[in-house]
Amino acid sequence: MIALCRYTMAVMLHSQRYMHPMLLFVAVAVIFTGSSDSVPVAAIYGPVSGVLFVCSAWLTAALVNVEDPVRRVISVVHAGRSRSVLLATVLVALAMSLLVSGVLLFAPLLIGDHSITPDDLMVGVLAQLTGASTGVAIGLIVSRLVIRRTGYALVTALVLMAALSFTQGLPPINRLIRLLAYTPDAPGLLPATAGCAAVAVALLAASTLFTDFIAARRD
Amino acid sequence: MKLRDIGKRYGRQTWVLTHVQVDLPPGELIAFSGGNGSGKSTLLRIVVGVTRPTTGRVTDRPALIGYVPDRFPPDERMSALDYLTHMGRVSGLRGEAAGRRAESLLERLALVGGADTALRALSKGNAQKVALAQALMVPPQLLVLDEPWSGLDSSAHGVLAEIMNEITRAGGTLVFTDHRESVVRANATRIYRVAGGSVTLDENPTRMTRPTETRLVLRAPVNEYGIPRTADWRSCAGVVTAHDNGAHTTIHVTSAYADELILAALREGWSMVEAGMVHTSQVSVHGGAS
Repeated sequence: MIALCRYTMAVMLHSQRYMHPMLLFVAVAVIFTGSSDSVPVAAIYGPVSGVLFVCSAWLTAALVNVEDPVRRVISVVHAGRSRSVLLATVLVALAMSLLVSGVLLFAPLLIGDHSITPDDLMVGVLAQLTGASTGVAIGLIVSRLVIRRTGYALVTALVLMAALSFTQGLPPINRLIRLLAYTPDAPGLLPATAGCAAVAVALLAASTLFTDFIAARRD
Repeated sequence: MKLRDIGKRYGRQTWVLTHVQVDLPPGELIAFSGGNGSGKSTLLRIVVGVTRPTTGRVTDRPALIGYVPDRFPPDERMSALDYLTHMGRVSGLRGEAAGRRAESLLERLALVGGADTALRALSKGNAQKVALAQALMVPPQLLVLDEPWSGLDSSAHGVLAEIMNEITRAGGTLVFTDHRESVVRANATRIYRVAGGSVTLDENPTRMTRPTETRLVLRAPVNEYGIPRTADWRSCAGVVTAHDNGAHTTIHVTSAYADELILAALREGWSMVEAGMVHTSQVSVHGGAS
């Protein structure tokens, strides 16, 4: 699995496809974190995890789509199982999303004037995990493995992301953003955020299994 | 390895393969012969385990498999060496071992353009060498090649034949496809005909056998007194007969050992006058129970 992840990472870096979504994320996140001196830390996490949701979906779809189908077959033969190859893609997309959001979000907060408690930090980690996991889950569903045509994939992505972001109270994304925006200092924030993260990870697991099932039928 | 009652269709479309029964015994060179659209590439992918059959079972598939696609996708910025090392690691080799194995394979296949050049910069023939090399990173027990001669430069055909012989001699199974009858007959020990989704074993008893013996005529090196050297050719591996008529020596050697013998003779100062194939009169029939 480590070897597969290294290979997937190398393919991603060589293709430079990660740059578009990551640069967009960095640009938007900097705007949020830069203009938030007088705002409670938790209130930043909401919108940033929302942006991470969109960008990690984009990154995941790009990562899956960049690999040529014939080369994917070769990787599957070497790995022994197609699920391993898919899992490596999921892990790399997730790791990349969390790394970029983590560095961007926590470095300036630690260096700057904000007083940040361990609870705040934990909420931040869980919020980013929620955004990244849900994003990767959507990214898999709209990738070439499930939806062949880019037009349909894009429309499906927009519909799913809008539904998850704007449906009132729907976990994990909308619920998380509302939680962090309207009750940023509530004592019950940590368990609630953990709940959203758990839903997001479950969504990711379901999406991975679904994508693997569809891809296997198509092969 | 066996395929029993294999069928494949995608969704509700027509069946690509129906009721396929195939035996893939070890040590054999098995060909799937058929035109474009006959279903042979799908069959290869089922053999390798990448495509799941809609019906039927595959039994006794070996653990170590190599798959060589008919064309290696060119669009990749990674170098040949890096790609092979990655694939080696994915197969379970340690990093250093994978790197060394990759280098030795690329050298054997005589990759032109450099092991460190991006794959997309290699010519089609050289990219196909990389496709072959990746399947050999861990010596496979089952090697599956889709139209192997089509993509490779003719300079690499010799190495391909060597590799195919090495694998079958070691007890591995080799499966290949080709749409040309001459290539299939020249190389396969078992031929399956693929047409319209059905696969049938070719049991034609009058088909030409592979030549099993090579005839070599060598001229001995002479010493300073003009006396030609003699050698005990019959003690060499694979030699069937050896006749010395003074000026030349004529040797019949089993084809698998011909190269070794020629190399040894040349090293000892002998010259090659002539080499050719001997067709044996014995016809062997491949078919029926394995």
